[in-house]
Amino acid sequence: MDYTLSTVAPIVLLPFFAFVINAFIVKKFTNIAVAISTGAIFISFLFALRIFADFMNVYSVGYHIHKTFDWFNLSAGPHNFNVKMGIYIDNMTAVMLLMVTAAATLIHVFSTWYMHDDPRFGRFFVYLSLFTSAMLGLVLSDNLLSVFIFWELMGFCSYSLIGFYYEKEGAGNASMKAFMTTRVGDVFFLLGILALWSVVGSVQFTDIYNAIAAGKFAGLSINVLGLSLSVAGIAAFSIFMGTMGKSAQVPLQVWLPDAMWGPTPCSALIHAATMVAAGVYLSLRMYPLMELAQLTTFIAYIGGITAFGAATIALVQTDIKAVLAYSTISQLGYMVIGIGVGSYNASFMHLITHAVFKACLFLSAGSVIHSIHCQEMPQMGGLRKKLPYTFFAMLLCCFAIAGVPFFSGFVSKDRILGDALLLALSNPVYIPVALLGFGGAFLTAFYMFRMLFLTFFGAPRDHHIYDHAHDEHLHWNSNIPLLILSVFTLGLFYSGSFTGQGEVNLFGQRNEWFSTLIHKPDAQSLHHFAEYKSEEFGRVDTRDKLELPKAQYDASHGLSEHEAHHVHQVHQIGALLSIIIAFSGIFLAYLMYIKKTVNPGWWTGTFAGWTKALKNRYYFDDLYVGKIIQRGLIPFNDMLAKFDMNFYDKYAIDGWATVNRVAYTIARWFDNTIIDSGMVDGTGLSVRGMNFVLRSVQSGKIQMYFIVIVVVLAGYIWTLNY
Amino acid sequence: MHGLDLLSWILWMPIIGVLGVLLMPKEKTTAMKTWALINTIITFALTLVLYSKFDTTVSGMQQAFNVRIPWIPQFHIYYALGVDGISLPMILLTGLLFMLCILSSWTQIKKSIKAYFALLLLLQSTVFGVFMSMDFFLFYVYWEVMLIPMFFLIGVWGGENREYAAVKFFLYTFFGSILMLVGIVALYFVTGQTDSSFDILALSGGKFTTQTLTLFGQTLSFSKLFFVFMFIGFAVKVPVFPFHTWLPHAHVQAPTAISVILAGVLLKMGTYGFLRIAFPIFPDSAKYFATAIAWLGLINVIYGALCAMAQTDVKKLIAYSSVSHMGFVMLGLAAMTVQGMNGAVLQMFNHGTSTAMMFFMIGILYERSHHRWIVKPDGSRGYGGLYTALPVYSIIFIIGMFASMGLPGMSGFISEALIFLGIYQRFSTITVLALFGLLIGAAYLLWMFKRMFFGEVNPEVKEYSDMTKLEVLYMAPLCVAVILFGIWPSPILNMMKASVGQLVSLLATF
Repeated sequence: MDYTLSTVAPIVLLPFFAFVINAFIVKKFTNIAVAISTGAIFISFLFALRIFADFMNVYSVGYHIHKTFDWFNLSAGPHNFNVKMGIYIDNMTAVMLLMVTAAATLIHVFSTWYMHDDPRFGRFFVYLSLFTSAMLGLVLSDNLLSVFIFWELMGFCSYSLIGFYYEKEGAGNASMKAFMTTRVGDVFFLLGILALWSVVGSVQFTDIYNAIAAGKFAGLSINVLGLSLSVAGIAAFSIFMGTMGKSAQVPLQVWLPDAMWGPTPCSALIHAATMVAAGVYLSLRMYPLMELAQLTTFIAYIGGITAFGAATIALVQTDIKAVLAYSTISQLGYMVIGIGVGSYNASFMHLITHAVFKACLFLSAGSVIHSIHCQEMPQMGGLRKKLPYTFFAMLLCCFAIAGVPFFSGFVSKDRILGDALLLALSNPVYIPVALLGFGGAFLTAFYMFRMLFLTFFGAPRDHHIYDHAHDEHLHWNSNIPLLILSVFTLGLFYSGSFTGQGEVNLFGQRNEWFSTLIHKPDAQSLHHFAEYKSEEFGRVDTRDKLELPKAQYDASHGLSEHEAHHVHQVHQIGALLSIIIAFSGIFLAYLMYIKKTVNPGWWTGTFAGWTKALKNRYYFDDLYVGKIIQRGLIPFNDMLAKFDMNFYDKYAIDGWATVNRVAYTIARWFDNTIIDSGMVDGTGLSVRGMNFVLRSVQSGKIQMYFIVIVVVLAGYIWTLNY
Repeated sequence: MHGLDLLSWILWMPIIGVLGVLLMPKEKTTAMKTWALINTIITFALTLVLYSKFDTTVSGMQQAFNVRIPWIPQFHIYYALGVDGISLPMILLTGLLFMLCILSSWTQIKKSIKAYFALLLLLQSTVFGVFMSMDFFLFYVYWEVMLIPMFFLIGVWGGENREYAAVKFFLYTFFGSILMLVGIVALYFVTGQTDSSFDILALSGGKFTTQTLTLFGQTLSFSKLFFVFMFIGFAVKVPVFPFHTWLPHAHVQAPTAISVILAGVLLKMGTYGFLRIAFPIFPDSAKYFATAIAWLGLINVIYGALCAMAQTDVKKLIAYSSVSHMGFVMLGLAAMTVQGMNGAVLQMFNHGTSTAMMFFMIGILYERSHHRWIVKPDGSRGYGGLYTALPVYSIIFIIGMFASMGLPGMSGFISEALIFLGIYQRFSTITVLALFGLLIGAAYLLWMFKRMFFGEVNPEVKEYSDMTKLEVLYMAPLCVAVILFGIWPSPILNMMKASVGQLVSLLATF
């Protein structure tokens, strides 16, 4: 397949053009606008599918496409500076593209049903199209600057969609909170870009990899506030801060639960499947830098704390979307753990599997909300019979997220936990990470099934709501997208081998297509990047194929046969542990909410303080909004503004008028009494002149002002005539 | 010997407009407005002709457009005009904004229409004069004359406290100009009163590195002393902290179109002064004071943004945001690198368009509400629910707001990113601190937006009508500009890069 502008760009441009067209026609031709948006993303999906098929067909580690063009150029004289943009497609990109376009297409289709009766039906699709094109642009980016651009554009779409119901005060607060919290991360991200640019001279991924491989960062430091910091460290930390903001990692997790103010399909697309995962994607792309800066331990801890902490908060939520929001934070935590413990491909795989099952969960929740017009689980119950398809989809997803074998979540999460365990056994520093990870997995299984049981099982708790719920029928744009997504929660799709080049192995590590294609860019492959060539758009395509056979891969990891065996054993233990944990979590939920032999009230009563902390989201919001912003920043700003106008301006500036008046009085006295000295006259005149200006500022005297203007004009004309 | 060439045409076209307005009878207001509009359209078209004939590869003054005719030969003063890559973006911006301002004043100005349009056109000519003058004395004349129409435009057509604001604006700027005048005179004498004593180009290039002068028994570096003088002169205009307090007053009191001109063009005259005069004439001192300038720029960024956040008057908020955004320009200038300088000039242009949008939008709202309170002094909501009540207005407001915030994909981002890229190479600590300006910048705008546009519709707001066709018409070019140059900055950057590169090279030699 030849990759030129025309075969790749439509992926991004189709949704973007849909956005542009729809922005103008949406008011009059809502249905056409919706059709354009949905059609555009579907065609993008076909393009992405073609690229994916091509990459599967080549089936090589190093196969990639890299095309660039000049965005703008500041080169002049001796100065040389140009900014390149471009597309970069490797295996990871190809998988991402397929996931994003597929999820987006299904969510678009679902939205045509879910949002149909909303007065702003069309406008929703305008934002959705812009968002999708930004996300696809990010995925195709070959450099950090364009990642940042699309990253912020997504932030803008997220802001607009969270504030979609702008009549509501809460939506306004939530959207602002989301934008500002992620902006904290973004500001650091920009700093990271600056730091990298200063060393590498560009922010293209390949240039950065080359610079790392060439050891350009060694010993470089910069001075910030008197501290000497390593450039690599600053860059890695800053970029990871970007990830923390976008992927809602502690302590920047506060925005994501509030983001649920947005319509449910947007939660599914933006705040579950794609945008929040973009943070993790960024850190994966920059993995060599993270490793270089030895930031991985920090990353692992952040991930562990997030994965476990968010899971605990999810335990006490009663709003169905809130449970899913916290579970998203928690699952993102697992991906971050994956980065931290070097479980590169499992982390990326979890990103993909999570996108699928979480999008499905959100759409299912949307289906429930749409049919009963209520989000509170205590008022649900027994909906299984009313919503059989939704129930089926949600059940599969709950299996997936809980980590039940043969489901996608198990395949990916187990591998992250296995690697965490492996690392913990050799390095005690990682023991807490592994414990948090496994603990979180137990909680995940529990709270997801708590949600499932509370919603679909038992007797209806609110008969009014239950009786008014409509029976669900199989319909192309309501539950078919759910069912399609739910089928892809099967682990087979991710751990299978579709090429005949590997063997299916349930506990195996690298025998499937995913692990074969996605490799940690370690020192070995970084050197390969040095051979990567970028091309200008429009040239004839040449394929770069870099075969990295399995044996070489093992060797590159420095694994002897004995060590490989050890790794294998630990992973098997990890998998077994995961299975036990998942089932015990589900069982506990079963005892509490189906059998009712364990009373949840006893737990909340016994650990009242703990429960209160959970209900208050560990007081993060109180700290940020209540303390730092309302008690700190806002009073400080008020004080500063008062100082500026009521003190500095009033006394230090306007005080000169008083000085002038005094001087004028003295001068007049001097003038009158001691009539002499040109200096006194001069001062008096100048002060009097100023006073004249002050006095003459009155709107009635326009004629006089015109005399001045005429004089000036005369000067002009004189100039001409000279 | 010279006929009136293109630069002179642009410079004098508004004066033809002034004369036309003055000749018309007082009652013919529509005729006057139409005349003024046609005049500004022609002027803008001429600036576009200038752009089309401009050679982007030339770094210095473009020979094809140079004018140099003796004006007061006894004192070696010339009527000298020129254009290069630094002034061209400003000339284009001036042409565009004045045209839009005439449209915006169409219905907003109700008293003394004749005088208003005459003064507005006079102002345009003086602004062009500042951006085109190649003779230091001529520059100074335009710099000062500009104050007169501005003084009356604020003082007569402004808000309730207009006289105070107008006098303050006048005296503040005047104070700065006097220091500049001292500098001009000193340069005149130190260069020996020759034909090139007021020639800005001849003065440029760092010719005063060794001269000293004795003042109160102290031996001072000529270059450093007069750099500081000129710096203050221009800093008042930018405005650089601590010379910024005229700005909130002037902005709040000025009528909409004048706020637009003030923020869109007049502030840039300050930074233009650095680029055209202070830096090229005293490059050694510019280099010497670079760190101090950078710190002042940082203070502008942070202090302006924090003050903006505390404002309950939306116009004052945007006024302080200008202080913050001009701080970025100062940072770019202080960087003295290719990226920083280009970023600074680009930011001058981009801030001109985005902040003009904000002031126009506030003016449009003011016409309906007759107040500008985000939160009224009694604590109640000034607006609230505008999003629901005025959908078209809200969308255009969002475009302006995010352009002002520097959202990627909008024009402000590229200039800010370039500035940061430039400054990072020189002052890492300042960069890190200035980045927080971006954070606060988003905070005050979004908070303002939330309080004005979100939530239930305020009963007062229900009465407002959405934007008229005329209002959409004059906002449209700005909307296009902030988005187009955010995606495709090359047209502006290509214009300036050769000239900016030359200045960077000059500064690099010291």
